[in-house]
Amino acid sequence: MIRHLKILDYALSSLARRKYKNATIILVYSFTVSVLASILFLTHALKTEAEKILTEAPDLVIQRTFAGRHDLISKEYVEVIKSIRGIKNVKPRYWGYYYDSFTESNYTMLGLASKLAKLEMTEGRMPVAPGECVIGEGVSKARLTGIGEDLILVDSQGMGVVFEVVGKFNALSELLTNDLIVLSDNDVIDFFGFPEGKSTDIAVEVFNENEIQNIAGKIKKIFPDTRPITKQEIISTYNGVFNWRSGMMLTIFSAALASFIILAWDKATGLSGEEKHEIGILKSIGWDTADILELKFWEGLVISFTAFLLGITVAFVHVFYLEATILASVMKGWSVLFPRFQLIPYVNIYQIFVIAFLTVVPYVASTIIPSWKAAITDPDSVMRG
Amino acid sequence: MTERLIWTENASKIYNPDMADEMVALDSTNITINKGEVVVLQGPSGSGKTTLLSIIGCMSRPTAGRVVIKGKDVAKLPERFLTNIRHKTFGFIFQHLNLIRNISVQENVSLPLYPDNTSFKEIRNRVDKVLDELDMLPKIKIKVQKLSGGEQQRVAIARALINNPEIIIADEPTAHLDHELAKELLSILERLSRKGKTIIIASHDPFVIEHGFVQKTISMRNGQIENVKANRV
Repeated sequence: MIRHLKILDYALSSLARRKYKNATIILVYSFTVSVLASILFLTHALKTEAEKILTEAPDLVIQRTFAGRHDLISKEYVEVIKSIRGIKNVKPRYWGYYYDSFTESNYTMLGLASKLAKLEMTEGRMPVAPGECVIGEGVSKARLTGIGEDLILVDSQGMGVVFEVVGKFNALSELLTNDLIVLSDNDVIDFFGFPEGKSTDIAVEVFNENEIQNIAGKIKKIFPDTRPITKQEIISTYNGVFNWRSGMMLTIFSAALASFIILAWDKATGLSGEEKHEIGILKSIGWDTADILELKFWEGLVISFTAFLLGITVAFVHVFYLEATILASVMKGWSVLFPRFQLIPYVNIYQIFVIAFLTVVPYVASTIIPSWKAAITDPDSVMRG
Repeated sequence: MTERLIWTENASKIYNPDMADEMVALDSTNITINKGEVVVLQGPSGSGKTTLLSIIGCMSRPTAGRVVIKGKDVAKLPERFLTNIRHKTFGFIFQHLNLIRNISVQENVSLPLYPDNTSFKEIRNRVDKVLDELDMLPKIKIKVQKLSGGEQQRVAIARALINNPEIIIADEPTAHLDHELAKELLSILERLSRKGKTIIIASHDPFVIEHGFVQKTISMRNGQIENVKANRV
């Protein structure tokens, strides 16, 4: 034990001797780890949040399409769909997007009946009368308004409409409610000017989840101009989008990864003359090959573990406290880009192991291999170079 | 009664054998060094002194022949046995000192004791003792590159002595020293000789070769032993 402590002690002293070189390696290494970890953290957090939202989503959403694009759907469809066996509930939903040129933000305006059950409020209450609204944290911050104050928006006729803020959302996740304004259904209809008897889409719930595909098929057969979207399809789309985006980011990041590999390769393919000479000296004064390898193992481990922890910390702060400033625009997409929101820190321990395995192990190995080559050579030959 | 400590039998060393740049550094050398003896290997540059020292000191292996240390043929021993012999039997003073820069005198001298189970406290005591004997204790915390040439030489000697080795090997120890420092070094080696240490020095410095405490001079040329002369001490 004492022997290992002494070798560790010398390893630390040895690292301190080459402090500028090692600091540079740690800096490059931490940057690589932080970019890789940021992408993985952000993707995982977005996917987890999306999954949380979607557990509350209806089993089926029926959209009407016209010329291949989403169009308003007639309320007459609701009655027909209700008559299909196995359907528990059908309701029209009223919602739309509102671009606020004042703050250059996109808000989602949602009718009360379309609201997900899981949404809770930090304070206030749900709208009960016309002209009342509940807003998300992002809207509150962007418009500098809160409970008891007014929110003025411009409707489809170009007229200013005043809503009284009666509640603020306590988001399970800000991704869900940050840009949200919940109004009564009639206020949404009036604000966007929905034609009589039309809604944005129709939410359908079924008794048996195994029947979702069959019911979707029946609806499509009855109404060929509709597109039934199952909850599973939405989940897959979200996952696909975030996986694709993280894949894109990883592709771009491959340049940084390549630089790191070159650095590791440079370490792997040879030691500096000074390092070789030192190994020769240590061997000549009685250090064994195993002692040299242990020394180099500690050196590699200290560097890589420091860089790993630093990189992970930077990534964590970047993603969960600085709102992933660098990656957000690519990963989240335009529709949720504004207002800004903070992610809840969901970190998968498996990802941490993957990052550690991809960064610490190759570096430690690349440090030990050339040292092993020098350490098994006669000290005389190593010192002669 | 003299006790044979080291002997070689037809020990040869060829660098890059069977290649265009093959070089015979040692050619069938036979020497004997007795316990407690002070031996100087002398000869011009390239005569094979350093190579013979390195083979005797288990720093490299002969290409052919035998090298026997304390009755054990070390020529074909695995590396870990050679390390063990280097660690316990030899103390090396190199021509270029081979101190590790940017660490203190204390750390340099302690290094041979790191890979065994000597405690930190014991190491400190032994380092203090050996540095005190060499008048280097006040410089214990100083980084070695900040010392004068003579002081660095004494640090190298302290490192060679920290394991209390039976045999001290010095390769051209006066090559970079002025006359006064060389005299001081030889007096240290003489002191060690009086304590019963076996000392093997490679040198072509007449001041070393003709020094009174040298008991045997082995002359080398072109990798071969030219003659062996016993001195009257």
